[in-house]
Amino acid sequence: MTRRTDPRPLLRASAELLAWWLALALLWLVFVTSVDTLERIVGAGCAAVGAVLARAGRRAVRWR
Amino acid sequence: MNGWILAATLALGGGGAAVLWGVTTGPPARRILAQNLATSAVCPALLLLSQGYGRPSYVDLALLLALLGPVGTLVFARLLSDDLAGERPSAWGLTWTAAGLGLAAVVAACAAAGPGRAMVKLLVIGVLLIAGNVIASRALAGGFRRVGGG
Repeated sequence: MTRRTDPRPLLRASAELLAWWLALALLWLVFVTSVDTLERIVGAGCAAVGAVLARAGRRAVRWR
Repeated sequence: MNGWILAATLALGGGGAAVLWGVTTGPPARRILAQNLATSAVCPALLLLSQGYGRPSYVDLALLLALLGPVGTLVFARLLSDDLAGERPSAWGLTWTAAGLGLAAVVAACAAAGPGRAMVKLLVIGVLLIAGNVIASRALAGGFRRVGGG
């Protein structure tokens, strides 16, 4: 493995979680019937849980 | 009865009959292909019925089906990989016909919905439906050797 100036693992994990969260929250907003404050709050929460699960799943498959 | 419901009836009737015939006759390879066809027939029919009856909630059923149907077929392909090793089932003509049906239903529903969030949802369903069924068909035909078996 080439040793380059990789960003810190914590930064990379945060970036990945943020990317998952953005994608999942966007999907939530597209799929719900009406967009209101409650839907935004619930969607943000569910997207956060989903982002953690998605990263765990991705790591389980790729193993790194 | 309007055009949407008529089209949905044709899709459900034709697709359902083909699925029933395929599932109840022939070797396991043919039956597993037929159950994969069920998703491709019912999901577009649900989209058409949603327009026909004016019930947006039917679209959620179609979304769920487009997501879970191919996943179920992949589970079958994995669990039955030993039984299917001898006779790799494939029916690409049927697969692409079903994909065309899904595409036509999604395009028609998109045209009726107009631009907006509903259209994005329909497009996501279309991508899930068509990509999922092509991937599931390819898995059944032995296209992914590295992940087969276990």
